[in-house]
Amino acid sequence: MSEQMKSLEFDVLVIGGGIAGGEAALNLANLNYKVLLVEKELSIGGKMIMLSKVFPTLDCAACITTPKISEIARHPNITIFTGAETRKITKIEEHHFEAIVLQKPRYVNVTDCTGCQLCEQACPVSVSDQYQYGLVGRKAVYIPFSIASPRAAAIDIENCTLCGACERVCPTQCIDFTQTEEEFLVTIKSIVVATGFDLFDPLKIPRYGYGTFKNVITSMQMERQLAPTRPYNTILRPGDGKMPDNIAYVLCTGSRDKSLGNPICSQICCMYSVKQAQLLMGALPMADITIYYLHIRAFGKGFNEFYAQAQDMGVEFVKGKVGKITEKENGNLILRYEDIEQGKVQEAEHDMVVLSVGVLPNQGISDAFENKKLELDPFNFINQADILASPAKTSIDGVFVAGTASGPMDIPDSILSGGAASAETTSYLRRALL
Amino acid sequence: MDVEKGKTAKYLKEKRPVPKEVTEQLKYFTRTKKSILNALKEGDKTIPQLAEILAIPKDEVVFQLMSLLKYGFVETGEIDDMDEYFYYKIKNDGKN
Repeated sequence: MSEQMKSLEFDVLVIGGGIAGGEAALNLANLNYKVLLVEKELSIGGKMIMLSKVFPTLDCAACITTPKISEIARHPNITIFTGAETRKITKIEEHHFEAIVLQKPRYVNVTDCTGCQLCEQACPVSVSDQYQYGLVGRKAVYIPFSIASPRAAAIDIENCTLCGACERVCPTQCIDFTQTEEEFLVTIKSIVVATGFDLFDPLKIPRYGYGTFKNVITSMQMERQLAPTRPYNTILRPGDGKMPDNIAYVLCTGSRDKSLGNPICSQICCMYSVKQAQLLMGALPMADITIYYLHIRAFGKGFNEFYAQAQDMGVEFVKGKVGKITEKENGNLILRYEDIEQGKVQEAEHDMVVLSVGVLPNQGISDAFENKKLELDPFNFINQADILASPAKTSIDGVFVAGTASGPMDIPDSILSGGAASAETTSYLRRALL
Repeated sequence: MDVEKGKTAKYLKEKRPVPKEVTEQLKYFTRTKKSILNALKEGDKTIPQLAEILAIPKDEVVFQLMSLLKYGFVETGEIDDMDEYFYYKIKNDGKN
């Protein structure tokens, strides 16, 4: 352990600042516990903050997330580290854990940055914007996205030419290239793991042509195209900028497929595809939308009505497994699929294809635990040791799980799970006093 | 270390040379930006028209043009008669 390492003390460490971790942190902070929230991205808000609208209410995702994020960011009992990683977690005894938190350099002093974006304007570099899922460029110095929290610039040092243009225009002189990695030794009484999920990478299914056929996109890319802070002026094909009018959705891309190592249902793809189809019909009134599905799983409150609403709006549902996608010279795509109801192989042409990618475990956090094992389930999500009686309980007493770190779930369930984790954490912390 | 605020890039430059790919990428963007803006100075154009003039793939034009739209060099014009492709036009004479 380095001598310069700063020590910090909190009641609870929440790992992951998405909607589940945020909910847990907020509940605990409101009960007067001191919380450290560690987020690996440059902003809190997780995946929800990137979404257009939510199902089945079609509420604006940002309108729900932003006030909550703001409350978390301003809470006097919550300390937030963004662009940071939790490493080496050790359980010393009950109600006593130690962890190393690595703060990566942002090269911007967040407290001094006003978010004026003059640095962005001055930066000559343009690279792919990860927060728009590669659909458009961003500068090497950039505010991650308009509703980011903190709304402060960061420097992508891998792509920076170190020209210094940003520093010269910064009115508050908050850019600092001398920043280096910093490690903190954090002492806590309890931990909430809310590390969320990864999206399936469709490059693993070459027969769908993602990456090669530019008009085959992922559902998250379509989500960005539908959001008010979209990458393009409207919904366009990334292959040639044409407004699409015949869009296909391929459900279960990377889910319920043993050959890809993910045999389970992702729980959200049916409904987010139904949601996107409805939004597309609003944005492109002349467009035909076809959803190729295996089974529509509309299991939640108001979900089946939402599915029926899409059918009434004219979304076409085809029970079929798409085997292969090929591209025509004009960028249109031919879907070869097994029509399950007719029992034969068919082909259909669309001008854009959206792959409804599934939910995968965000692996790695279990490796951070040094002297106790954070057990995983057979699908590599965090194992819920007592799923019925105590759903947030993990294999380690004092470590609780919230949200999609424990398995695929939708937004209302993630928030509920964050609430459950905070309640169980409180119960654990109170036991220390008894 | 005495650090002069507003001039800190030089400290990192001493420790960390800029990779060649990064400078190449900068050159490519600057060149593409210039050719797109020059083509648009001649008149409003659609993405397929720009791809033909610049002799680069259409998807690359989409990416670069939409970046220029985001950075404020370009704005969206009317859609074509077939309701397929938008025209894009230069904004503020290509200065942002």
